Amino acid sequence: MSAEFELSRNITIGQYLPTESVVHRLDPRFKLAAFVILILAIAICNTYVGNLFALVICISMFAVAKIPLHYGISGIKPAIPFIIILATLQLLFYGEIANGGTVYVQYGFITISSESIRLVLVSAMRFVEVIFLSSVLTLSTSTTELTHGMERLLGPLHKVKFPVHAFALIITIAIRFVPTFAMEMEKMMKAQASRGADFGTGEWWRIIRRTKDMLPIIIPLFNVALARAEDLILAMEARCYTPGASRTQYTHYKAQGKDYVALLTSIVISVIMLVIPW
Amino acid sequence: MTNNPIIRVEDISFSYKVNQDQQIPVLKNVSLDVYPGEYLAIIGHNGSGKSTLSKHLNGILTPSEGGVYVNGIDTRDRMRLHEVRSKVGMVFQHPDNQIVATIVEDDVAFGLENIGVAPQEMKERIDASLAVVGMSEFRHRPPHHLSGGQKQRIAIAGILAMRPQCVVLDEATSMLDSYGRQEILTVIRKLHEEGMTIVTVTHHMSEVTQADRVVVMEAGQIVLQGTPREVFSHQARLQELHLDVPDASRIAAYVHAQCASFSVDLIENDEVVEEVNRHSIPQAEASGT
Repeated sequence: MSAEFELSRNITIGQYLPTESVVHRLDPRFKLAAFVILILAIAICNTYVGNLFALVICISMFAVAKIPLHYGISGIKPAIPFIIILATLQLLFYGEIANGGTVYVQYGFITISSESIRLVLVSAMRFVEVIFLSSVLTLSTSTTELTHGMERLLGPLHKVKFPVHAFALIITIAIRFVPTFAMEMEKMMKAQASRGADFGTGEWWRIIRRTKDMLPIIIPLFNVALARAEDLILAMEARCYTPGASRTQYTHYKAQGKDYVALLTSIVISVIMLVIPW
Repeated sequence: MTNNPIIRVEDISFSYKVNQDQQIPVLKNVSLDVYPGEYLAIIGHNGSGKSTLSKHLNGILTPSEGGVYVNGIDTRDRMRLHEVRSKVGMVFQHPDNQIVATIVEDDVAFGLENIGVAPQEMKERIDASLAVVGMSEFRHRPPHHLSGGQKQRIAIAGILAMRPQCVVLDEATSMLDSYGRQEILTVIRKLHEEGMTIVTVTHHMSEVTQADRVVVMEAGQIVLQGTPREVFSHQARLQELHLDVPDASRIAAYVHAQCASFSVDLIENDEVVEEVNRHSIPQAEASGT
Protein backbone atom coordinates (compact mmCIF):
# COMPACT_ATOMS: atom_id res chain seq x y z
CA MET A 1 0.00 0.00 0.00
CA SER A 2 2.72 2.41 0.96
CA ALA A 3 4.53 1.85 -2.31
CA GLU A 4 1.56 3.30 -4.17
CA PHE A 5 2.40 6.78 -2.98
CA GLU A 6 6.13 6.62 -3.48
CA LEU A 7 6.11 8.25 -6.87
CA SER A 8 9.35 10.15 -6.70
CA ARG A 9 11.31 6.93 -6.18
CA ASN A 10 10.23 5.41 -9.48
CA ILE A 11 11.16 8.21 -11.83
CA THR A 12 13.06 6.77 -14.74
CA ILE A 13 13.74 9.97 -16.70
CA GLY A 14 17.44 10.43 -16.70
CA GLN A 15 18.22 6.83 -15.81
CA TYR A 16 21.89 7.64 -16.18
CA LEU A 17 24.17 4.76 -15.25
CA PRO A 18 27.69 6.10 -14.70
CA THR A 19 30.09 3.34 -15.74
CA GLU A 20 32.68 5.72 -17.21
CA SER A 21 32.91 3.77 -20.46
CA VAL A 22 34.04 5.15 -23.81
CA VAL A 23 30.41 5.58 -24.82
CA HIS A 24 29.79 7.66 -21.69
CA ARG A 25 32.70 9.94 -22.46
CA LEU A 26 31.69 10.65 -26.06
CA ASP A 27 30.83 14.20 -26.99
CA PRO A 28 27.02 14.30 -26.66
CA ARG A 29 26.67 16.11 -30.00
CA PHE A 30 28.41 13.28 -31.82
CA LYS A 31 26.66 10.63 -29.80
CA LEU A 32 23.27 12.10 -30.68
CA ALA A 33 24.19 12.46 -34.34
CA ALA A 34 25.38 8.84 -34.49
CA PHE A 35 22.17 7.77 -32.75
CA VAL A 36 20.01 9.60 -35.29
CA ILE A 37 21.94 8.07 -38.21
CA LEU A 38 21.51 4.54 -36.82
CA ILE A 39 17.80 5.09 -36.15
CA LEU A 40 17.34 6.26 -39.75
CA ALA A 41 19.20 3.22 -41.07
CA ILE A 42 17.03 0.92 -38.94
CA ALA A 43 13.91 2.63 -40.25
CA ILE A 44 14.96 2.15 -43.87
CA CYS A 45 16.55 -1.30 -43.74
CA ASN A 46 14.00 -4.08 -44.38
CA THR A 47 16.14 -7.18 -44.84
CA TYR A 48 16.55 -10.07 -42.42
CA VAL A 49 20.31 -10.10 -42.44
CA GLY A 50 20.57 -6.33 -42.23
CA ASN A 51 18.34 -6.29 -39.16
CA LEU A 52 20.10 -9.25 -37.57
CA PHE A 53 23.35 -7.39 -38.09
CA ALA A 54 21.83 -4.27 -36.46
CA LEU A 55 20.58 -6.38 -33.56
CA VAL A 56 24.05 -7.79 -32.99
CA ILE A 57 25.52 -4.28 -33.11
CA CYS A 58 22.93 -2.99 -30.61
CA ILE A 59 23.64 -5.82 -28.18
CA SER A 60 27.38 -5.42 -28.47
CA MET A 61 26.90 -1.72 -27.75
CA PHE A 62 25.76 -2.65 -24.26
CA ALA A 63 29.08 -4.42 -23.77
CA VAL A 64 31.06 -1.43 -25.08
CA ALA A 65 29.13 0.92 -22.78
CA LYS A 66 29.62 -1.53 -19.87
CA ILE A 67 25.89 -1.56 -19.22
CA PRO A 68 24.25 -4.86 -18.18
CA LEU A 69 21.95 -6.12 -20.95
CA HIS A 70 19.01 -6.56 -18.57
CA TYR A 71 18.55 -2.79 -18.56
CA GLY A 72 17.72 -3.00 -22.25
CA ILE A 73 15.54 -6.08 -21.84
CA SER A 74 13.52 -4.44 -19.08
CA GLY A 75 12.86 -1.65 -21.57
CA ILE A 76 11.39 -4.16 -24.03
CA LYS A 77 9.00 -5.81 -21.56
CA PRO A 78 6.39 -3.03 -21.49
CA ALA A 79 6.58 -2.87 -25.30
CA ILE A 80 5.79 -6.56 -25.86
CA PRO A 81 1.97 -6.11 -26.03
CA PHE A 82 2.41 -3.41 -28.66
CA ILE A 83 4.81 -5.54 -30.65
CA ILE A 84 2.36 -8.46 -30.59
CA ILE A 85 -0.65 -6.32 -31.54
CA LEU A 86 1.32 -4.69 -34.34
CA ALA A 87 2.59 -8.03 -35.59
CA THR A 88 -0.92 -9.51 -35.62
CA LEU A 89 -2.37 -6.56 -37.47
CA GLN A 90 0.43 -6.61 -40.01
CA LEU A 91 0.09 -10.35 -40.50
CA LEU A 92 -3.66 -10.12 -41.08
CA PHE A 93 -4.01 -6.96 -43.11
CA TYR A 94 -0.71 -6.30 -44.88
CA GLY A 95 -0.71 -9.31 -47.18
CA GLU A 96 -2.25 -7.26 -50.00
CA ILE A 97 0.18 -4.40 -49.69
CA ALA A 98 3.35 -6.39 -49.12
CA ASN A 99 2.66 -8.55 -52.13
CA GLY A 100 5.22 -10.63 -53.86
CA GLY A 101 7.08 -13.65 -52.64
CA THR A 102 5.45 -17.02 -52.12
CA VAL A 103 1.86 -17.01 -50.91
CA TYR A 104 1.33 -19.48 -48.06
CA VAL A 105 -2.25 -18.82 -46.99
CA GLN A 106 -5.05 -17.19 -48.90
CA TYR A 107 -8.36 -16.94 -47.05
CA GLY A 108 -10.82 -14.14 -47.85
CA PHE A 109 -9.06 -10.84 -47.34
CA ILE A 110 -6.24 -12.50 -45.42
CA THR A 111 -3.11 -13.13 -47.42
CA ILE A 112 0.00 -14.47 -45.75
CA SER A 113 3.02 -14.49 -47.97
CA SER A 114 6.75 -14.68 -47.42
CA GLU A 115 6.84 -10.90 -47.93
CA SER A 116 4.25 -10.16 -45.26
CA ILE A 117 5.98 -12.51 -42.81
CA ARG A 118 9.20 -10.65 -43.48
CA LEU A 119 7.46 -7.37 -42.80
CA VAL A 120 6.19 -8.68 -39.46
CA LEU A 121 9.52 -10.06 -38.34
CA VAL A 122 11.47 -7.05 -39.51
CA SER A 123 9.18 -4.60 -37.68
CA ALA A 124 9.46 -6.61 -34.48
CA MET A 125 13.24 -6.55 -34.80
CA ARG A 126 13.20 -2.84 -35.49
CA PHE A 127 11.25 -2.29 -32.30
CA VAL A 128 13.78 -4.17 -30.25
CA GLU A 129 16.71 -2.42 -31.95
CA VAL A 130 15.28 1.05 -31.37
CA ILE A 131 14.59 0.28 -27.70
CA PHE A 132 18.10 -1.10 -27.23
CA LEU A 133 19.68 1.86 -28.94
CA SER A 134 17.77 4.48 -27.01
CA SER A 135 18.44 2.60 -23.77
CA VAL A 136 22.16 2.78 -24.44
CA LEU A 137 21.84 6.47 -25.26
CA THR A 138 19.87 7.46 -22.16
CA LEU A 139 21.82 5.16 -19.85
CA SER A 140 25.15 6.54 -20.99
CA THR A 141 24.22 10.23 -21.30
CA SER A 142 22.94 12.49 -18.53
CA THR A 143 19.84 14.54 -19.30
CA THR A 144 21.95 17.68 -19.08
CA GLU A 145 24.32 16.37 -21.74
CA LEU A 146 21.38 15.30 -23.88
CA THR A 147 19.80 18.76 -23.84
CA HIS A 148 23.18 20.42 -24.41
CA GLY A 149 23.89 18.09 -27.31
CA MET A 150 20.49 18.68 -28.82
CA GLU A 151 20.80 22.44 -28.47
CA ARG A 152 24.15 22.40 -30.27
CA LEU A 153 22.96 20.05 -33.01
CA LEU A 154 19.89 22.17 -33.66
CA GLY A 155 22.06 25.30 -33.53
CA PRO A 156 22.10 25.87 -37.31
CA LEU A 157 18.29 26.08 -37.28
CA HIS A 158 18.73 29.40 -35.49
CA LYS A 159 19.37 30.88 -38.93
CA VAL A 160 15.84 30.03 -40.05
CA LYS A 161 14.46 31.73 -36.91
CA PHE A 162 13.85 28.49 -35.03
CA PRO A 163 14.11 29.37 -31.29
CA VAL A 164 16.75 26.74 -30.53
CA HIS A 165 17.73 28.04 -27.14
CA ALA A 166 14.16 28.52 -25.93
CA PHE A 167 13.40 24.99 -27.10
CA ALA A 168 16.34 23.55 -25.17
CA LEU A 169 15.41 25.61 -22.11
CA ILE A 170 11.84 24.30 -22.20
CA ILE A 171 13.12 20.74 -22.19
CA THR A 172 15.62 21.45 -19.42
CA ILE A 173 12.96 23.05 -17.22
CA ALA A 174 10.53 20.23 -17.95
CA ILE A 175 13.09 17.65 -16.84
CA ARG A 176 14.09 19.78 -13.88
CA PHE A 177 10.52 19.88 -12.60
CA VAL A 178 9.63 16.20 -13.05
CA PRO A 179 10.85 15.20 -9.57
CA THR A 180 9.32 18.34 -8.07
CA PHE A 181 5.89 17.56 -9.45
CA ALA A 182 6.18 13.89 -8.57
CA MET A 183 6.77 14.93 -4.98
CA GLU A 184 3.90 17.40 -5.18
CA MET A 185 1.60 14.69 -6.52
CA GLU A 186 2.68 12.31 -3.79
CA LYS A 187 1.76 14.93 -1.20
CA MET A 188 -1.64 15.48 -2.80
CA MET A 189 -2.42 11.77 -3.03
CA LYS A 190 -1.60 11.38 0.64
CA ALA A 191 -3.70 14.42 1.52
CA GLN A 192 -6.68 13.15 -0.49
CA ALA A 193 -6.27 9.57 0.73
CA SER A 194 -6.20 10.75 4.34
CA ARG A 195 -9.58 12.35 3.68
CA GLY A 196 -11.03 9.11 2.36
CA ALA A 197 -10.36 9.22 -1.38
CA ASP A 198 -9.33 5.88 -2.82
CA PHE A 199 -6.87 5.51 -5.63
CA GLY A 200 -6.17 2.39 -7.55
CA THR A 201 -8.78 0.24 -5.81
CA GLY A 202 -10.89 -0.03 -8.96
CA GLU A 203 -10.04 -2.92 -11.29
CA TRP A 204 -7.59 -2.02 -14.02
CA TRP A 205 -10.10 -2.48 -16.83
CA ARG A 206 -12.50 0.10 -15.39
CA ILE A 207 -10.64 2.83 -17.16
CA ILE A 208 -13.25 5.56 -16.75
CA ARG A 209 -13.53 5.07 -13.02
CA ARG A 210 -9.77 5.05 -12.60
CA THR A 211 -9.45 8.19 -14.66
CA LYS A 212 -12.13 9.87 -12.56
CA ASP A 213 -10.21 8.87 -9.45
CA MET A 214 -7.27 10.90 -10.66
CA LEU A 215 -9.22 14.14 -11.18
CA PRO A 216 -8.92 15.42 -7.59
CA ILE A 217 -5.15 15.15 -8.06
CA ILE A 218 -4.73 16.43 -11.57
CA ILE A 219 -6.62 19.68 -11.10
CA PRO A 220 -4.70 20.88 -8.03
CA LEU A 221 -1.51 19.71 -9.70
CA PHE A 222 -2.17 22.03 -12.63
CA ASN A 223 -2.91 24.81 -10.20
CA VAL A 224 0.37 24.32 -8.42
CA ALA A 225 2.25 24.05 -11.70
CA LEU A 226 0.93 27.42 -12.86
CA ALA A 227 1.84 29.08 -9.56
CA ARG A 228 5.33 27.63 -9.78
CA ALA A 229 5.68 28.77 -13.36
CA GLU A 230 4.89 32.34 -12.34
CA ASP A 231 7.52 32.25 -9.61
CA LEU A 232 10.00 30.77 -12.04
CA ILE A 233 9.38 33.56 -14.55
CA LEU A 234 10.15 36.17 -11.88
CA ALA A 235 13.31 34.39 -10.82
CA MET A 236 14.48 34.06 -14.43
CA GLU A 237 13.75 37.70 -15.18
CA ALA A 238 15.57 38.76 -12.04
CA ARG A 239 18.59 36.96 -13.46
CA CYS A 240 18.42 38.97 -16.67
CA TYR A 241 16.77 36.36 -18.87
CA THR A 242 15.45 37.93 -22.05
CA PRO A 243 13.70 35.61 -24.48
CA GLY A 244 15.45 35.56 -27.82
CA ALA A 245 18.41 37.63 -26.67
CA SER A 246 21.91 36.44 -27.53
CA ARG A 247 23.66 34.70 -24.69
CA THR A 248 26.89 32.88 -24.02
CA GLN A 249 27.15 29.22 -23.09
CA TYR A 250 28.92 27.79 -20.08
CA THR A 251 29.47 24.23 -21.25
CA HIS A 252 31.74 23.82 -24.20
CA TYR A 253 32.30 20.59 -26.02
CA LYS A 254 35.41 19.90 -27.95
CA ALA A 255 35.32 17.00 -30.37
CA GLN A 256 38.16 14.50 -30.05
CA GLY A 257 39.37 11.66 -32.22
CA LYS A 258 37.09 9.10 -30.58
CA ASP A 259 34.04 11.24 -31.37
CA TYR A 260 34.82 11.26 -35.08
CA VAL A 261 35.51 7.53 -34.93
CA ALA A 262 32.11 6.93 -33.34
CA LEU A 263 30.32 9.00 -35.95
CA LEU A 264 32.20 7.29 -38.76
CA THR A 265 31.45 3.86 -37.28
CA SER A 266 27.75 4.62 -37.18
CA ILE A 267 27.84 5.64 -40.84
CA VAL A 268 29.72 2.48 -41.82
CA ILE A 269 27.24 0.31 -39.89
CA SER A 270 24.33 2.07 -41.58
CA VAL A 271 25.81 1.58 -45.04
CA ILE A 272 26.42 -2.11 -44.37
CA MET A 273 22.83 -2.52 -43.15
CA LEU A 274 21.47 -0.87 -46.26
CA VAL A 275 23.61 -2.66 -48.87
CA ILE A 276 23.05 -6.20 -47.56
CA PRO A 277 20.61 -7.54 -50.15
CA TRP A 278 18.92 -10.35 -48.20
CA MET B 1 26.41 57.59 5.54
CA THR B 2 28.08 60.14 3.33
CA ASN B 3 28.15 57.80 0.33
CA ASN B 4 25.67 58.05 -2.44
CA PRO B 5 22.92 55.47 -2.09
CA ILE B 6 23.01 52.39 -4.37
CA ILE B 7 19.25 52.38 -4.59
CA ARG B 8 17.10 55.46 -4.31
CA VAL B 9 13.38 54.94 -3.93
CA GLU B 10 11.75 58.32 -4.49
CA ASP B 11 8.20 58.79 -3.38
CA ILE B 12 6.80 55.75 -5.17
CA SER B 13 3.22 54.57 -5.31
CA PHE B 14 2.08 51.32 -6.81
CA SER B 15 -1.28 49.70 -7.32
CA TYR B 16 -2.36 46.40 -8.77
CA LYS B 17 -4.98 46.64 -11.46
CA VAL B 18 -7.88 44.33 -10.73
CA ASN B 19 -9.83 45.39 -13.78
CA GLN B 20 -10.26 48.52 -15.82
CA ASP B 21 -11.74 50.81 -13.19
CA GLN B 22 -10.66 49.10 -9.99
CA GLN B 23 -7.17 49.33 -8.55
CA ILE B 24 -5.78 48.10 -5.27
CA PRO B 25 -3.14 50.46 -3.92
CA VAL B 26 -0.22 48.57 -2.41
CA LEU B 27 2.43 51.23 -1.91
CA LYS B 28 1.72 54.85 -1.05
CA ASN B 29 4.43 57.50 -1.27
CA VAL B 30 7.31 55.34 -0.10
CA SER B 31 10.80 56.82 -0.05
CA LEU B 32 13.86 54.81 0.92
CA ASP B 33 17.58 54.97 0.30
CA VAL B 34 19.82 51.92 0.43
CA TYR B 35 23.48 52.74 1.07
CA PRO B 36 26.52 50.69 0.04
CA GLY B 37 27.53 48.08 2.61
CA GLU B 38 24.32 48.45 4.54
CA TYR B 39 22.28 45.59 6.01
CA LEU B 40 18.67 46.65 5.77
CA ALA B 41 15.70 44.65 7.01
CA ILE B 42 12.16 45.34 5.84
CA ILE B 43 9.45 43.94 8.11
CA GLY B 44 5.68 44.09 8.13
CA HIS B 45 2.82 41.63 8.33
CA ASN B 46 1.25 39.96 5.29
CA GLY B 47 -0.15 42.49 2.85
CA SER B 48 1.83 45.40 4.23
CA GLY B 49 3.53 45.90 0.87
CA LYS B 50 7.00 44.81 1.93
CA SER B 51 7.40 42.21 -0.84
CA THR B 52 6.00 44.61 -3.42
CA LEU B 53 8.55 47.21 -2.32
CA SER B 54 11.38 44.72 -2.62
CA LYS B 55 10.28 43.77 -6.16
CA HIS B 56 10.71 47.43 -7.12
CA LEU B 57 14.37 47.38 -6.17
CA ASN B 58 15.50 45.63 -9.36
CA GLY B 59 12.76 46.57 -11.75
CA ILE B 60 10.59 43.44 -11.56
CA LEU B 61 7.83 45.88 -10.76
CA THR B 62 7.96 49.50 -11.75
CA PRO B 63 6.19 52.20 -9.75
CA SER B 64 2.97 53.82 -10.91
CA GLU B 65 4.25 57.14 -9.56
CA GLY B 66 7.65 58.27 -8.40
CA GLY B 67 10.85 56.50 -9.41
CA VAL B 68 13.40 53.90 -8.36
CA TYR B 69 17.04 54.56 -9.27
CA VAL B 70 19.81 51.97 -9.09
CA ASN B 71 23.18 53.71 -9.37
CA GLY B 72 21.21 56.55 -10.92
CA ILE B 73 19.56 54.34 -13.55
CA ASP B 74 15.78 54.52 -13.67
CA THR B 75 14.35 50.99 -13.35
CA ARG B 76 11.78 51.91 -16.00
CA ASP B 77 14.54 52.26 -18.57
CA ARG B 78 14.09 48.94 -20.35
CA MET B 79 17.29 49.37 -22.33
CA ARG B 80 19.36 49.35 -19.14
CA LEU B 81 17.38 46.75 -17.24
CA HIS B 82 20.23 44.24 -17.48
CA GLU B 83 22.54 46.70 -15.77
CA VAL B 84 20.02 47.21 -12.97
CA ARG B 85 19.38 43.52 -12.48
CA SER B 86 23.00 42.50 -12.50
CA LYS B 87 23.70 45.14 -9.82
CA VAL B 88 20.75 44.23 -7.63
CA GLY B 89 20.27 40.47 -7.38
CA MET B 90 17.18 38.92 -5.92
CA VAL B 91 16.55 35.67 -4.03
CA PHE B 92 12.94 34.58 -3.76
CA GLN B 93 10.84 32.77 -1.22
CA HIS B 94 10.41 29.33 -2.71
CA PRO B 95 13.63 27.33 -3.02
CA ASP B 96 12.23 25.03 -5.70
CA ASN B 97 10.82 27.67 -7.99
CA GLN B 98 13.98 29.57 -8.83
CA ILE B 99 16.27 26.80 -9.98
CA VAL B 100 16.27 26.51 -13.76
CA ALA B 101 18.79 23.84 -14.63
CA THR B 102 19.16 20.13 -13.96
CA ILE B 103 22.69 20.46 -12.56
CA VAL B 104 23.83 22.87 -9.83
CA GLU B 105 26.67 24.50 -11.76
CA ASP B 106 24.48 25.00 -14.84
CA ASP B 107 22.00 26.84 -12.68
CA VAL B 108 24.65 29.15 -11.30
CA ALA B 109 25.77 29.74 -14.90
CA PHE B 110 22.26 30.69 -16.04
CA GLY B 111 22.48 34.36 -15.06
CA LEU B 112 25.99 34.64 -16.47
CA GLU B 113 24.88 33.19 -19.80
CA ASN B 114 22.09 35.77 -19.88
CA ILE B 115 24.44 38.72 -19.43
CA GLY B 116 26.92 37.30 -21.91
CA VAL B 117 29.94 36.52 -19.74
CA ALA B 118 32.75 34.73 -21.60
CA PRO B 119 32.95 30.98 -20.83
CA GLN B 120 36.45 31.06 -19.29
CA GLU B 121 35.48 33.83 -16.90
CA MET B 122 32.22 32.04 -16.10
CA LYS B 123 34.09 29.11 -14.63
CA GLU B 124 36.07 31.34 -12.25
CA ARG B 125 32.96 33.17 -11.14
CA ILE B 126 31.01 29.97 -10.58
CA ASP B 127 33.86 28.46 -8.56
CA ALA B 128 34.11 31.58 -6.43
CA SER B 129 30.42 32.01 -5.74
CA LEU B 130 29.85 28.33 -4.94
CA ALA B 131 32.75 28.56 -2.50
CA VAL B 132 31.21 31.60 -0.77
CA VAL B 133 27.97 29.75 -0.06
CA GLY B 134 29.86 26.54 0.80
CA MET B 135 28.33 24.42 -1.97
CA SER B 136 31.42 23.66 -4.07
CA GLU B 137 31.23 19.90 -3.60
CA PHE B 138 27.64 19.84 -4.88
CA ARG B 139 28.36 21.42 -8.23
CA HIS B 140 27.64 18.35 -10.34
CA ARG B 141 24.55 17.27 -8.38
CA PRO B 142 20.98 17.56 -9.60
CA PRO B 143 19.18 20.14 -7.43
CA HIS B 144 16.25 17.94 -6.40
CA HIS B 145 18.46 15.94 -4.05
CA LEU B 146 19.37 19.06 -2.05
CA SER B 147 17.69 20.37 1.09
CA GLY B 148 15.75 23.63 1.10
CA GLY B 149 18.61 25.52 2.70
CA GLN B 150 21.06 24.13 0.16
CA LYS B 151 18.76 25.12 -2.72
CA GLN B 152 18.55 28.66 -1.39
CA ARG B 153 22.34 28.74 -1.12
CA ILE B 154 22.50 27.73 -4.79
CA ALA B 155 20.07 30.54 -5.61
CA ILE B 156 22.31 32.97 -3.72
CA ALA B 157 25.37 31.64 -5.57
CA GLY B 158 23.57 32.21 -8.87
CA ILE B 159 23.08 35.83 -7.88
CA LEU B 160 26.61 36.31 -6.51
CA ALA B 161 28.16 35.03 -9.72
CA MET B 162 26.67 38.03 -11.48
CA ARG B 163 28.74 40.23 -9.13
CA PRO B 164 25.95 42.40 -7.78
CA GLN B 165 26.41 45.33 -5.42
CA CYS B 166 23.29 44.47 -3.52
CA VAL B 167 21.44 41.24 -2.74
CA VAL B 168 17.72 41.44 -2.01
CA LEU B 169 16.25 38.46 -0.15
CA ASP B 170 12.48 38.40 -0.50
CA GLU B 171 11.40 36.18 2.42
CA ALA B 172 14.14 33.81 1.37
CA THR B 173 14.06 31.93 4.68
CA SER B 174 10.32 31.63 5.20
CA MET B 175 9.98 28.19 3.56
CA LEU B 176 12.97 26.74 5.40
CA ASP B 177 13.25 24.81 8.65
CA SER B 178 15.25 26.40 11.44
CA TYR B 179 18.42 24.61 10.38
CA GLY B 180 18.09 25.85 6.79
CA ARG B 181 17.39 29.35 8.07
CA GLN B 182 20.59 29.32 10.11
CA GLU B 183 22.53 28.23 7.00
CA ILE B 184 21.20 31.18 5.05
CA LEU B 185 21.72 33.68 7.90
CA THR B 186 25.33 32.57 8.20
CA VAL B 187 25.85 33.15 4.48
CA ILE B 188 24.17 36.56 4.67
CA ARG B 189 26.28 37.62 7.63
CA LYS B 190 29.44 36.55 5.82
CA LEU B 191 28.45 38.48 2.70
CA HIS B 192 27.68 41.55 4.77
CA GLU B 193 31.05 41.35 6.49
CA GLU B 194 32.69 41.25 3.08
CA GLY B 195 30.96 44.52 2.23
CA MET B 196 27.90 43.36 0.29
CA THR B 197 24.77 45.46 0.62
CA ILE B 198 21.93 43.30 1.93
CA VAL B 199 18.22 44.01 1.85
CA THR B 200 16.17 41.33 3.54
CA VAL B 201 12.39 41.14 3.63
CA THR B 202 11.22 38.98 6.50
CA HIS B 203 8.81 38.42 9.29
CA HIS B 204 11.24 36.49 11.47
CA MET B 205 12.35 38.88 14.16
CA SER B 206 15.50 36.92 14.92
CA GLU B 207 16.74 37.86 11.44
CA VAL B 208 16.06 41.51 12.06
CA THR B 209 18.31 41.92 15.07
CA GLN B 210 21.47 41.45 13.01
CA ALA B 211 20.54 44.22 10.55
CA ASP B 212 21.98 47.75 10.62
CA ARG B 213 18.65 49.37 9.92
CA VAL B 214 15.06 48.22 10.14
CA VAL B 215 12.15 49.56 8.12
CA VAL B 216 8.65 48.69 9.29
CA MET B 217 5.90 48.69 6.67
CA GLU B 218 2.17 48.96 7.27
CA ALA B 219 -0.58 49.45 4.69
CA GLY B 220 1.88 50.39 1.98
CA GLN B 221 3.78 52.96 3.98
CA ILE B 222 6.91 53.09 6.08
CA VAL B 223 5.73 53.63 9.65
CA LEU B 224 8.89 53.08 11.69
CA GLN B 225 12.56 53.20 10.84
CA GLY B 226 15.82 52.98 12.75
CA THR B 227 18.34 50.59 14.25
CA PRO B 228 16.85 47.31 15.55
CA ARG B 229 17.20 48.64 19.11
CA GLU B 230 15.28 51.81 18.31
CA VAL B 231 12.55 49.96 16.46
CA PHE B 232 12.04 47.29 19.10
CA SER B 233 11.77 49.94 21.79
CA HIS B 234 8.38 50.82 20.29
CA GLN B 235 6.81 47.63 21.57
CA ALA B 236 3.28 48.92 21.88
CA ARG B 237 3.34 50.28 18.33
CA LEU B 238 4.71 47.00 16.96
CA GLN B 239 2.01 45.04 18.73
CA GLU B 240 -0.57 47.32 17.18
CA LEU B 241 0.88 46.35 13.81
CA HIS B 242 0.64 42.66 14.74
CA LEU B 243 4.39 42.27 14.69
CA ASP B 244 6.35 40.25 17.18
CA VAL B 245 9.32 41.58 18.99
CA PRO B 246 12.30 39.30 19.71
CA ASP B 247 11.85 37.19 22.86
CA ALA B 248 14.68 39.09 24.52
CA SER B 249 12.87 42.43 24.08
CA ARG B 250 9.62 41.01 25.41
CA ILE B 251 11.28 39.56 28.49
CA ALA B 252 13.20 42.77 29.11
CA ALA B 253 10.03 44.84 28.88
CA TYR B 254 8.18 42.48 31.21
CA VAL B 255 10.92 42.58 33.84
CA HIS B 256 11.28 46.32 33.38
CA ALA B 257 7.61 46.76 34.25
CA GLN B 258 8.22 44.96 37.58
CA CYS B 259 11.65 46.34 38.32
CA ALA B 260 12.36 49.77 36.87
CA SER B 261 16.13 49.49 37.00
CA PHE B 262 16.12 46.53 34.56
CA SER B 263 17.15 47.87 31.17
CA VAL B 264 14.41 47.74 28.54
CA ASP B 265 16.22 48.13 25.22
CA LEU B 266 17.62 44.61 24.90
CA ILE B 267 17.31 42.66 21.66
CA GLU B 268 19.73 39.74 21.98
CA ASN B 269 19.39 36.79 24.35
CA ASP B 270 22.93 37.29 25.67
CA GLU B 271 22.11 40.82 26.69
CA VAL B 272 19.23 39.61 28.86
CA VAL B 273 21.49 37.11 30.60
CA GLU B 274 24.02 39.85 31.24
CA GLU B 275 21.40 42.19 32.58
CA VAL B 276 20.06 39.48 34.88
CA ASN B 277 23.57 38.84 36.19
CA ARG B 278 24.11 42.54 36.74
CA HIS B 279 20.99 42.63 38.86
CA SER B 280 21.28 39.38 40.74
CA ILE B 281 24.86 39.78 41.99
CA PRO B 282 24.38 42.92 44.12
CA GLN B 283 21.10 41.50 45.42
CA ALA B 284 22.78 38.24 46.42
CA GLU B 285 25.39 40.22 48.27
CA ALA B 286 22.68 42.29 49.92
CA SER B 287 20.80 39.23 51.15
CA GLY B 288 24.05 37.67 52.37
CA THR B 289 24.81 40.58 54.74
